[in-house]
Amino acid sequence: MSITNLLNNWSFYRKKRPYQGQYDLNRQYSEYKWAMALDLDICTGCNACTTACYAENNLPVVGKERFKHGHVMHWIRIERYWDEKMGEFPEQGASFLPMMCQQCEEAPCETVCPVGATSHTNDGLNSQNYHRCVGSRYCSVNCPYKVRYFNFWNYPSTAWPAPLPDQLNPDVTVRTKGIMEKCTFCVQRLNEAKSRARTEYRLVRDGEVVPACVQACPTSAITFGNIVDPKSKVAMMWKNQQVDLYKDMQEKDNSVRGYRILEDLRPFPSVMYLERVRDMEA
Amino acid sequence: MIHRLLAALCFAFLFGAAAGAEPFVQGGPIGSQTPDGYNALGPVVKQPIEFPHYRHARDMGINCMYCHTGARRGYVSVIPRIDKCIGCHQNIESVRNKPRIKKLFEYWDKKEPIPWKKVNDLPDYVRFNHERHIQRFYFRQNRPVREVCGYCHGDVANMTVDRRVKALSMGWCISCHQKDHKESDTNLKTSHGPGECWQCHK
Repeated sequence: MSITNLLNNWSFYRKKRPYQGQYDLNRQYSEYKWAMALDLDICTGCNACTTACYAENNLPVVGKERFKHGHVMHWIRIERYWDEKMGEFPEQGASFLPMMCQQCEEAPCETVCPVGATSHTNDGLNSQNYHRCVGSRYCSVNCPYKVRYFNFWNYPSTAWPAPLPDQLNPDVTVRTKGIMEKCTFCVQRLNEAKSRARTEYRLVRDGEVVPACVQACPTSAITFGNIVDPKSKVAMMWKNQQVDLYKDMQEKDNSVRGYRILEDLRPFPSVMYLERVRDMEA
Repeated sequence: MIHRLLAALCFAFLFGAAAGAEPFVQGGPIGSQTPDGYNALGPVVKQPIEFPHYRHARDMGINCMYCHTGARRGYVSVIPRIDKCIGCHQNIESVRNKPRIKKLFEYWDKKEPIPWKKVNDLPDYVRFNHERHIQRFYFRQNRPVREVCGYCHGDVANMTVDRRVKALSMGWCISCHQKDHKESDTNLKTSHGPGECWQCHK
């Protein structure tokens, strides 16, 4: 990069990156863009979503030793925060934050994959193709949310002893050693619903299909839907919370609780969180 | 010289017999209906009953989906249960004493399912959606059913036991997905199949 080049293209180089459409200029959603809204005020941190995800997506239970080494494979995890100053430990309440793949619009993981195993789909999902993955783990390093999980061990041979393989979900591949994996928004359910809808000459209705975590949530803290449809529940929540998919560091009223995690890194995530509000005076 | 040739022939015969299953052959007479360069004749699969597809689909003109009922509604096309066979064949007295039909009724009397073997098998990490292809080409574009099924399964109506005639590999799938297909007979718009990983890979 010469100085003249820099000066001539000053505005281009000064542009904040990634900007919308940097990687795919023609990307536009005409039918579906799956998105989520997660209310932390309702979430009780019960881990039902994690359990449902284990059952739906054939996740291996790794055990204590490997958990300590960071080899755990939960696609959705409950993060605990002890930052609320309400007395000592037993009285002090934790605040919970379920964290799954945010299905970023300008995903940092997609740009760095050396073999193109992760890419964007026409539904706005961040797809992970296990059969193309060579296990470089670059995507996991580049993910700001740390929601990509690597198969350090050959789990199919150890995680499910004799009768247990019968309970595996046949719609999801059992991943082998050396493969990166992550939350898919339960793409097998989405594909099936989309196919059914297309046969009936319509789009997928709001609430017709939900991922396993949404289905299992006992308090309905997670809302899932198609954000292209302005009447869907999730689109209305995004609108009410003044969160726009393609904006970063958004200025909002004080009354709204909606935000997206690490928005200023500009990955444009598809999951909106609603802030936890507690009356600390009472 | 002749001895040597004979020995070589014998060796080839023995080796071929020891190999057992028929080797994978590229091309072949059955697969030559669509010369797209991707035809590949699959191995001969020995079925418990030598089901004559030609008798049902060609001679009787039965729609493929009369038995393979899942093809229009879901991912798998479904190999019919035995009651489907019996439902017709208990009323067809003329073929009741044919050896294959006798075998069919043996299974029926034993109350056992027929252990059909899979012919067109895809790897476990691939999901092929029959519904989408049948809905698009058969129900919306009114193409003949033998043609629509034949895009992937070949001319099954002229076969006895079904045999794989296409490669069913990813490159072969993509070769058709990249082509521009007409939306309908009256609509000039064309579209091609999806090219995302997650449409087929799970």
